[in-house]
Amino acid sequence: MKNFIYIFSALLITSCMPNKKNSNEINIYSQRHYNVDEIQYKNFEKLTGIKVNVTKANADELIQRMKNEGDNSPADLFITVDVGKLWQGGDMGLFQKFDNESVFENIDSQLLDNNSYWVPVTYRSRVIVYSNERVKKEELSTYEDLSNEKWKGRLLVRSSSNAYNQALMSSLVENLGSENTSRWSEGVVANFARDPKGSDRDQVKAIAAGQGDIAIVNSYYIGLLLSSLKEEEIKAGKAVSVFFPNQGENQRGAHINISGLALTKNAPNRDNAIQLIKYLTSIQAQETYVKNSFEYSVNPDVSPDEIVQSWGEFKKDPVDLNSLGTNRNEAIRIFDKTGWK
Amino acid sequence: MEIKKIKQTNSRKFIFSTVIFSIIVVLPIVALIFSTINIDTSNFKYLWNNLLLDYSFDTVYLVLITSFFSLIFGVFPAWYISTNNFRGKNIYDVLLYLPLAIPVYIMAFTYSDILSYTGPMQSFLRNYFPELAVFFNQDYLQIEILGIIMALALYPYIYTACRLSFSLVGSNYIDLSRSLGMSRTKTFYKIVIPLSRVSIFSGLFLVIMEVLNEYGAVKYFGVNTFTSGIFRSWYSMQDVETASLLAVFLFFIVVLFFSLERFFNLRYNFHYKPNTKKFKTESPSNIKKIIIHFTCMLPVLLGFIIPILFIIGNVIYEFERIDFYKVINLTSNTFIVSLIASSIIIVIAVYFQFLKRIIKNKTLTVFNEAISLTYALPGAVIGLSLIILFSSFSFKTEVLIGSFAVLIYAYVMRYMAVGISPLKSSFEKHPASYDDTAVNLGMSPLKLFKSIHLPINKSAIAIAFLITFVDIIKELPITLILRPFNFDTLAVQTYEYAIEEMIPKSSIYSLTIVMMGVILLIFLKKIINKEIDVSKS
Repeated sequence: MKNFIYIFSALLITSCMPNKKNSNEINIYSQRHYNVDEIQYKNFEKLTGIKVNVTKANADELIQRMKNEGDNSPADLFITVDVGKLWQGGDMGLFQKFDNESVFENIDSQLLDNNSYWVPVTYRSRVIVYSNERVKKEELSTYEDLSNEKWKGRLLVRSSSNAYNQALMSSLVENLGSENTSRWSEGVVANFARDPKGSDRDQVKAIAAGQGDIAIVNSYYIGLLLSSLKEEEIKAGKAVSVFFPNQGENQRGAHINISGLALTKNAPNRDNAIQLIKYLTSIQAQETYVKNSFEYSVNPDVSPDEIVQSWGEFKKDPVDLNSLGTNRNEAIRIFDKTGWK
Repeated sequence: MEIKKIKQTNSRKFIFSTVIFSIIVVLPIVALIFSTINIDTSNFKYLWNNLLLDYSFDTVYLVLITSFFSLIFGVFPAWYISTNNFRGKNIYDVLLYLPLAIPVYIMAFTYSDILSYTGPMQSFLRNYFPELAVFFNQDYLQIEILGIIMALALYPYIYTACRLSFSLVGSNYIDLSRSLGMSRTKTFYKIVIPLSRVSIFSGLFLVIMEVLNEYGAVKYFGVNTFTSGIFRSWYSMQDVETASLLAVFLFFIVVLFFSLERFFNLRYNFHYKPNTKKFKTESPSNIKKIIIHFTCMLPVLLGFIIPILFIIGNVIYEFERIDFYKVINLTSNTFIVSLIASSIIIVIAVYFQFLKRIIKNKTLTVFNEAISLTYALPGAVIGLSLIILFSSFSFKTEVLIGSFAVLIYAYVMRYMAVGISPLKSSFEKHPASYDDTAVNLGMSPLKLFKSIHLPINKSAIAIAFLITFVDIIKELPITLILRPFNFDTLAVQTYEYAIEEMIPKSSIYSLTIVMMGVILLIFLKKIINKEIDVSKS
């Protein structure tokens, strides 16, 4: 019994100690929990000998944690899948600006932050997918058209608590103004085939099941379904086609969002962090991303995965990506006002 | 005179120590409440005007559905097993506990996969019975289905409570009622249920708290509960203060609800004579046998066998790609944190219960109740409250946030109520005369504890320990927010794969959670059975 108490208290005491400081490391707070990220970090460790430590959680929880930890935060990098959160962190003063221009070297300039607070590592488009059986490609045109009555009872989308939907709504606020966007949202809600629920993949499955005809989803989910090991999922993926909206001559292009990272204000391992960023935007790492997650590369020299290429090229909405953060609150209010659950 | 004086100073010391303990446990909530003073209430008003009515409606509806099915799945099998003799009874008795090993979110993700259009059920029907497939091709992400799924994961709380209580009520009352001409059914509704009210409610309370805390599954099903409101303001509106305010608001609603229940139960506070005679079990007729088997089989099949077969199927399917080193590593992480946290909980809970027995003091009772109430907060909010608390200290917080100590602190806060609940009923069960006699014999409190309370409450202590342990193995939101770098538990890994819809990949981790839980629950079952037998003999 006594021994047990000794062991127990020893465990307790050691548990209170912080992790040992090690200068050859880097600490990441990440929202991304894809397998491909682990592969990237392992490759980086092999290449440089710098140990990568990761804590994964929801972006808002990590932001809150950094805010409260203040100058003592052990984090060097913050990684998220929505530019809105990167804008927010910058706005809250949690990040430092990149003065080292070489981190932007490999990146498409349309995807860069005007304030130099964050660096994109991949991007994705929020597209329309449609049933091959029940919808003709010609019937589709723009996001705006989704409020058209002809889609009544046919449109599927997930809930408004999802950041991808919030970013899309924010882009519409930026492009169309609040009033027009509200009207649009009302029309869209009236067209819902069912209450918003499930994930992006569930919307595709619901089309395959005949519960709706078109859905708003992120592009890479179609790639993931088509490369699934389950035959039924591949079938569901094959039941739909990808459509990039707003591609007409005078139209702005399809909405995109980035996955990106930012350097924290007091990054204790700043140099290592810069090294990792350069690595993640290098051709080698970018190729790893596109092959494993079906996202688009931020490096113009890296072409997408074959499945993704088969959807064709598309025009990206050139809106300032930070506006997807600045318009967020307005977007939420539009969702709530128009009853988009 | 002299003796009394010593006793008084002693009890003051004890009360002081419990106050300190309680304050440590509830301190994060206090920090949370303080953080909401002087906040800008515009977002709160906005949520109030636009969403909270809908959210409250969904919350109440979901709580009702889940409670209803938990009671159905819990009370009736417990009654049949306590009063009837039939083949397979002992196996049912164990199996009926086991869904407790499956976390609610795993149950929900598993079922949504089983039921989905590309899942096994619909695929099978499409391939072999196309006519039937049309009928089963439905949207299964509905609040009613969610309620049933949650009930399947949570009913064992009620089953456990009922099994214990029905055996304690004992045959004296039942025999009396039967000899007065009441039928078995009537006896059940008029005698057994009212006598077991308190324990059924304590099980139901845990069920309701779990429903209020659930976020992942609820969001996936497109249901908005009050907790969704908290996360709406935190995640979508980036307003942590309003989120805290809503959490505090929810907390007080639960406190109110809890106190009302206490108040009404006090009016019915009677002590029944503990069971002295062995339960007379009945050999049921054939028709009744069918009913009994159906009633016991249904929750076992839906709550355990089907999901576990599905998970095992996925494990076999993914077998070649499993990283066993990682599985072992995460299992030991999970085991260690759960062991430390549940041990601390049990020590504190036992201390409190023991003091409550030997010192009759109002303050003590209040604090005793207070430390259970942290259970009313969603895990993520407990995580937030600890971040707020520790960052308000001026010293280096990195030492604390992201260390095991804070993680364990959070577990202790969150699961104190789970540990207290079985101890409480056990400590209250034994007559006060034990203590009086012992004190009259000049026993010191420590001696009294060691030679009387520890032995007679041994089973309850083991039960409390095992239940907390199982709960902490399953814990998710707190671990996600507060864990140290590179530290994952089985629950975290399961969740990360599950939200990316890589259910097959997550299955080995969920299976490990379930297996750990099953082993612990079988231990638990043995202890409970011994309890039941002891009270029978």
